Amino acid sequence: MLGYIDKIKEVSKRLLEEGQVEMVIGFRKGTLSMMNEPHFARTPAEVQNFVWDSNCGINLCNYLTNRTEKIGILAKGCDSRNIVTHIIENKIKRDQIVIIGVPCKGMIDRRKMSSLFEGEIDDVIEDEHNITVKGAGFEKILNKKDVLQQNCAVCIHRNPVIYDERVADLVDEQTDIDRYADVREIEALSAQEKAAYFEKLLEPCIRCYACRNACPLCYCPTCFTDESRPQWVGKGQDTTDVSTFHFLRAYHCAGRCTDCGACERSCPVGINMRVFTKKLEKDCLELFGWEAGLDPDVRPPLDTYKPGDPDDFIK
Amino acid sequence: MTIVQIDKENWESSIKKLFGAYRLFGPVKEADFHNFKQLEAGQLPDLSCLNTRLSPKSIIYPQTEVMFKYTLDENEEDHHILKEVDKDYSPQAVMGIRPCDAKAFELVRLNFDSPDYKDPYWLNAYTATTLVGLACESPCKTCFCTTAGCGPYHEEALDVLLIDHGDQYWAKVLSDKGDAFVTAAGWTDAVDEQPAIKEIETKKKTAEDKISAFVKTDNLRQVDTNELYNAKFWEEVSFSCINCGTCTYVCPTCWCFDIQDENRGSQGCRIRNWDSCMYPLFTLHGSGHNPRGTKLHRVRQRFMHKLKYYVDKYDAGIQCVGCGRCVRLCPVNIDIRRVCGYMNGHVASAEACEV
Amino acid sequence: MEHMGIEPGRLQFSWVSSAESTKFVQVVTEVTQAIKELGPNKTLVKSIPEVA
Repeated sequence: MLGYIDKIKEVSKRLLEEGQVEMVIGFRKGTLSMMNEPHFARTPAEVQNFVWDSNCGINLCNYLTNRTEKIGILAKGCDSRNIVTHIIENKIKRDQIVIIGVPCKGMIDRRKMSSLFEGEIDDVIEDEHNITVKGAGFEKILNKKDVLQQNCAVCIHRNPVIYDERVADLVDEQTDIDRYADVREIEALSAQEKAAYFEKLLEPCIRCYACRNACPLCYCPTCFTDESRPQWVGKGQDTTDVSTFHFLRAYHCAGRCTDCGACERSCPVGINMRVFTKKLEKDCLELFGWEAGLDPDVRPPLDTYKPGDPDDFIK
Repeated sequence: MTIVQIDKENWESSIKKLFGAYRLFGPVKEADFHNFKQLEAGQLPDLSCLNTRLSPKSIIYPQTEVMFKYTLDENEEDHHILKEVDKDYSPQAVMGIRPCDAKAFELVRLNFDSPDYKDPYWLNAYTATTLVGLACESPCKTCFCTTAGCGPYHEEALDVLLIDHGDQYWAKVLSDKGDAFVTAAGWTDAVDEQPAIKEIETKKKTAEDKISAFVKTDNLRQVDTNELYNAKFWEEVSFSCINCGTCTYVCPTCWCFDIQDENRGSQGCRIRNWDSCMYPLFTLHGSGHNPRGTKLHRVRQRFMHKLKYYVDKYDAGIQCVGCGRCVRLCPVNIDIRRVCGYMNGHVASAEACEV
Repeated sequence: MEHMGIEPGRLQFSWVSSAESTKFVQVVTEVTQAIKELGPNKTLVKSIPEVA
């Protein structure tokens, strides 16, 4: 993936020079280790700031919403699936964007990395398979596979599903992956145990809404949490209000979530709220044979009725 | 000003003595990180923590706080009347607070304890609180306290400063509150002051030298407000922002709140919750108009408030203590140090921002 | 709902035609009885906040 950057710059530059797009959305180097910042280039010269490595976990599709320019956008597998979802939901027109496909091998979980070391990490240098971590008094080489974001570790759509340009050969997709081991563990709990599990999970939540705002699906002009007439959910730290927010948000993503991991990655207090969206993703797969964002021409299951839809729940 | 020494082997027993006199708060490790929590009797504050994930501001200014209760039941005599609620303002002490987080209370105080307005909830809690700081020996890479009016040994806002001294802690008493705290803990073993002060100076210097991040703020007052407001860099700065409230909620100096009434049946209460200038709802008018309708407006507001309006209004430096939490926790890596550099270095230009 | 920790049985779906009055009575009787056996719901119910 490290070799992509030259091609990324070349394509971006060309698109801008030829006037095919007015801006390209990519990443620039962050001010912290293991962080890159979403960034845009409007001129061929500005393309020089772009970077690409295993710290580009933020879903760039989120930055397409409500823009009017003609846009070139870098898209990993998950980003591209969210772009497809945007197109299906009429959030953006296909001809407003030029998709620069980036075959992905997974992004580093910076929290997992930090938790592996006592002191602060000063520098992280990666090559194709390994990561060298340097800090005060330690230096260690890790296998990149062991420190991927959990959603990347179980990803089966690493290649962009839709693109106009591609910066590298497609990568091998992972097979024989058990995507839902964690969901099954929760499913096995009793109702009471589930309630207790989620209460504990959400206990640190500060309701900053980073999970919602990092999510490309969460583009409602007014989120239900921000409605005041009627007010669906209280705004305080009451546990019922906090869990109502998380549950409802997850349900709004049913059949749309691509498990890009942006929500979990953005959480300042390390909550894995993907356990909610993954359950719905699993249900959609098992009940409707549906995976979100693979084809702009197929309507999603919650948007259509088919005579064969499962109806066992009706007594 | 006294400096007393406490042998670390007596530390636990002396902390135990304090539980009768104070509600004690301190860093506690939960899962992957530390936060300030009220300590249970006998529980020790974890002083090994680099710094807590969230700031200790919630000890004095909770994220959700009940202000009044009321009943809507017309059979009750006092229906539809707001009633004060009983609060516990007995003495409390925050142990292991970093000098930067303590200094943040001083900055916030300018808002909650002004000549015109006194916020009773904040002020009562603040008055009841003794801040027992721990000098910072190993600042993070994201710390820029020394150029944000503060520092790893900064004493200004503390009642006691604890200094790790090998087998001992030294406690430098800085106020009457601090004196009462030290007495309650039974820390009476004063050290020879002059050499101790000298040694603390050296340790302070060593810690300060470890700070590797800086901001320049010298020009912020001089820059013209309107020019800064219309500067071109705001588009670049705000582009990646997702308008979550992380930076404001983890910030020890952000003080904004929102008031809500919540009913259940005929009973209800009026509560105040932290609010954030990052949210569109923060400024949405009843008419539907929003004067800060785009994220550029909102991002600009946050930085302008901290680094320009506050500076101009109070003449007390920037509204930031350099704790680095917003830098570390921003999901998209917006860095106040970079933005401060843009603002401080801004030169008037003909190119104005379009929004 | 079940996945959120609400007991199974609190949420029921039935298909009843407007002509099926007997079935409607039967469904309502069964559902109310099942819910009564479960007792009041305690999950995701908000109370007036305690004052610290």
